[in-house]
Amino acid sequence: MAGAPDVGGPGPAAGEQLQQQHVSCQVFPKRLAQGNPQQGFLSSFFTSNQKCQLRLLRTLETNPYVKLLLDAMKHSGCAVNKDRHFSCEDCNGNVSGGFDASTSQIVLCQNNIRNQAHMNRVVTHELIHAFDHCRAHVDWFTNLRHLACSEVRAANLSGDCSLVNEIFRFHFGLKQHHQTCVRDRATLSILAVRNISKEVAKNAVDEVFESCFNDYEPFGRIPHNKTYARYAHRDFQNRDRYYSNI
Amino acid sequence: MSVEHHGQFLHSSLAGGLRGRAWRAGRPDMAECSSWQPPRPCEAYRAEWNLCRSARHFLHHYYVHGERPACEQWRRDLASCRDWEERRSAEAQRSLCESERARVQAARKHILVWALRQSPPADWHLPLPQEKDE
Repeated sequence: MAGAPDVGGPGPAAGEQLQQQHVSCQVFPKRLAQGNPQQGFLSSFFTSNQKCQLRLLRTLETNPYVKLLLDAMKHSGCAVNKDRHFSCEDCNGNVSGGFDASTSQIVLCQNNIRNQAHMNRVVTHELIHAFDHCRAHVDWFTNLRHLACSEVRAANLSGDCSLVNEIFRFHFGLKQHHQTCVRDRATLSILAVRNISKEVAKNAVDEVFESCFNDYEPFGRIPHNKTYARYAHRDFQNRDRYYSNI
Repeated sequence: MSVEHHGQFLHSSLAGGLRGRAWRAGRPDMAECSSWQPPRPCEAYRAEWNLCRSARHFLHHYYVHGERPACEQWRRDLASCRDWEERRSAEAQRSLCESERARVQAARKHILVWALRQSPPADWHLPLPQEKDE
């Protein structure tokens, strides 16, 4: 019952080095297909694309992590449109999703997302990348530290490394195990989209960890579950009162 | 590669919040401003204190930080908030402001890996490449 690692890195873009393009296009084959029209809905229910679309809709409407991220992005000038900024596609390998910075689009791997809870987590993870892209000059393609930082944040804040999820992966640990998980999953996510050694990826994560692990934007805290996410959303909605009275 | 202190937005917000108030002995005299209210509703302080003291939060905090959580400040803030609501206590106001500023400073003390944008990416809302071709 091991969870598939979520890929948080960007898809290929024009001008990207051949090596990186080779890795990314293997994972997201349709991202490079020229003139390949987006798959329309099939007439029958329960196709993987249909399930993906329905789960995505439910996530966007009900999940408190995602609702906060959507509000925060709207506040930053990046209002999210479901049809423009999300795409359900088949992906190779074990990845669950990705953020394509070249098209400002979140890719959801419809063949690898298992259930609603998984969709919630993948959308949260990718929206954190999108949020970083929106609020900062993130050099996704040539700056490994930037990529590592966003992956640390996404692993930390999306629920990827919750105690329950780690137990399902048969990774047992309690004291500060969350940080170990964040380092490991950030490294895995980098390796999924970059043709570099594990050592190089791990070093990049180590370099940025102190700063990026403690960057809780836009949550203001690590949202361990939906209660924390709701409190964080409440605080975000209250921010005008908050900052004008301290 | 450029880095930027996280406090950019914070400083402008703080400046905006304190602008126009009388200063006394190097500290803003916020008690004279009649429009001040606690940064959070008192129910929020109570909810945070209760969450902090819960067994589940102890587990989460230990899992992340390897130590037990500290909840005393939430209790103090709740008491200050109630004190201000009942008596409009200047001391309660000062205490709350100090506490929340400390929280904000603690959250912003790390140096960012990247530079923050002044405006969102120009291509965020542009149509997808294949849609443009159509």
